[in-house]
Amino acid sequence: MLSVEALTVRADGVELVREVSFGIAPGERVGLIGESGSGKSLTALSLMGLLPEGVSATGSATLQDQPLLGVPDKRVKGLRGRVVSMVFQEPMTALNPTMRVGAQVSEVMTLHGVPRAEARERALDLLGRVGVEAPRAYPHQLSGGQRQRVMLAIALANEPSLLICDEPTTALDVTVQKQMLELIVELAPAVLFITHDLAVVASVCSRVLVMYGGRVVESGPLREVFTNPRHRYTEGLLAASKLTPRGTRLPIIPGAVPSRFPSGCPFRDRCAHASPACESDPALTGEGHAYACWHPRD
Amino acid sequence: MPTPAGTPVIEARDLTRVYRASRFKPGVEALRGVSLDIGRGERFGIVGESGSGKSTLLRLLCGLDRPTSGSVRFEGREITGLGERQLRFLRDDLQIVFQDPMSSLDPRMRVRDIVAEPLVALGRPVGDRVAQLLTEVGLPASAADRYPHQFSGGQRQRIAIARALAPNPKVLVADEPVSALDVSVRGQILNLLADLIDTHGLTLVFVSHDLSVVRHVCESVAVMHRGVVVERGLVDDVWSRPQHDYTRTLLQAVPTLEGLL
Repeated sequence: MLSVEALTVRADGVELVREVSFGIAPGERVGLIGESGSGKSLTALSLMGLLPEGVSATGSATLQDQPLLGVPDKRVKGLRGRVVSMVFQEPMTALNPTMRVGAQVSEVMTLHGVPRAEARERALDLLGRVGVEAPRAYPHQLSGGQRQRVMLAIALANEPSLLICDEPTTALDVTVQKQMLELIVELAPAVLFITHDLAVVASVCSRVLVMYGGRVVESGPLREVFTNPRHRYTEGLLAASKLTPRGTRLPIIPGAVPSRFPSGCPFRDRCAHASPACESDPALTGEGHAYACWHPRD
Repeated sequence: MPTPAGTPVIEARDLTRVYRASRFKPGVEALRGVSLDIGRGERFGIVGESGSGKSTLLRLLCGLDRPTSGSVRFEGREITGLGERQLRFLRDDLQIVFQDPMSSLDPRMRVRDIVAEPLVALGRPVGDRVAQLLTEVGLPASAADRYPHQFSGGQRQRIAIARALAPNPKVLVADEPVSALDVSVRGQILNLLADLIDTHGLTLVFVSHDLSVVRHVCESVAVMHRGVVVERGLVDDVWSRPQHDYTRTLLQAVPTLEGLL
């Protein structure tokens, strides 16, 4: 359904995302994980046609045989919110503070040609399904969790075939996060779920892509990747996510995500297994469970 | 495990804090009768979600706000109602590390001046203390000449920790110190905090929304919900045998890799 081939995102000649390829089938929920600066949000924004000025994407991305990349703004506008839509991290900045939430949900439908009365009716229904029974409220009158559920209603209003979620629960309390994740699983058609939280991705997705330095370094069925990671970065990330008993040292990945990644394997300057071989680019290889590492974990 | 000996370092008694109604907002009872003792050398966690009152409690314990009623004693000395001048001893003995090192570090100040600021404010000599503190938190001495934006999130949190240690405090208060950090860096900061608490014999008050992080760091915990402490005890007991409904809800809501794979 969604097919991304060799997606590369550049700004000022610097490659921020490099040759990313993946697909999502109808009904599938795929996680895109990585730390800040790994390129996961840029990957999502290029699919939405929302890259900032001066940042451009090459490669190809098609959703139900409609191209998403390299098409005129006008056409992308027709697709955005209808075929593919997105839920962002911070609902307060994404919602219009001066408009009642019910009107904001119906607006996205009338923009795509749904008659006003029908849009209003469907907006009420959608808000009911996400559990916000206050269509006449303004965003500031709602809690963070309610606002994020309004965002979900807006994103789903035109029955898109793909929902992109970019850290949709990072700003929420854990009890509220749980409700939101359950709603996404229940209502979304197919999901690209971006997060830095491995436990969150494990509770939503069946397949996962691990990004580091703008590249997909490992991908495959979630359970397989998380229990038998091959790339040294994935291994380190999983180890660092587990909290060991009090009084013990936590496993760490040395250093921090750099602003400029080294050539060859982007992880080699933080990797304990790096060798001269890592100066050349490892390819993402493997059927099903793939990884790009010269010295994979056994 | 250090046992609280003698008087607790911090004693809070029946704290309430009511934010008065304004034209735009109804009044809120942010804290409703909270009492707790934090012993010397103890690692004490405060867990709660937004609106639980944990930030309000923290501000009162640190002498940054006055309770509507109740009292806070620091090493036996009443701190509620004292003026800033009389609170100088507290500014010496208790230091805070905040969640977001980007907003808690002045972007226009060099790291040298940021780390030295508590000493300067207290009129103490700086000497080579800055270099010594930077080394202690794992930063090169050359970091002193640079500005906060030139560092990563984890390094900025190290700078904030160096600043907090400058006046040789007895109590370190950490308010969600790793919530804004990447997973790969979180462990570095938690390990560093554990080391510093050991070498300096600090008492730690650690505030978090995440009981699993608190369990790694602290031996005791208070769980807050809607302005009251609903449960407190040794963190291992609270973790494995939660008594209050809210604690159970909180524990079940946190997704864990171990539980999902």
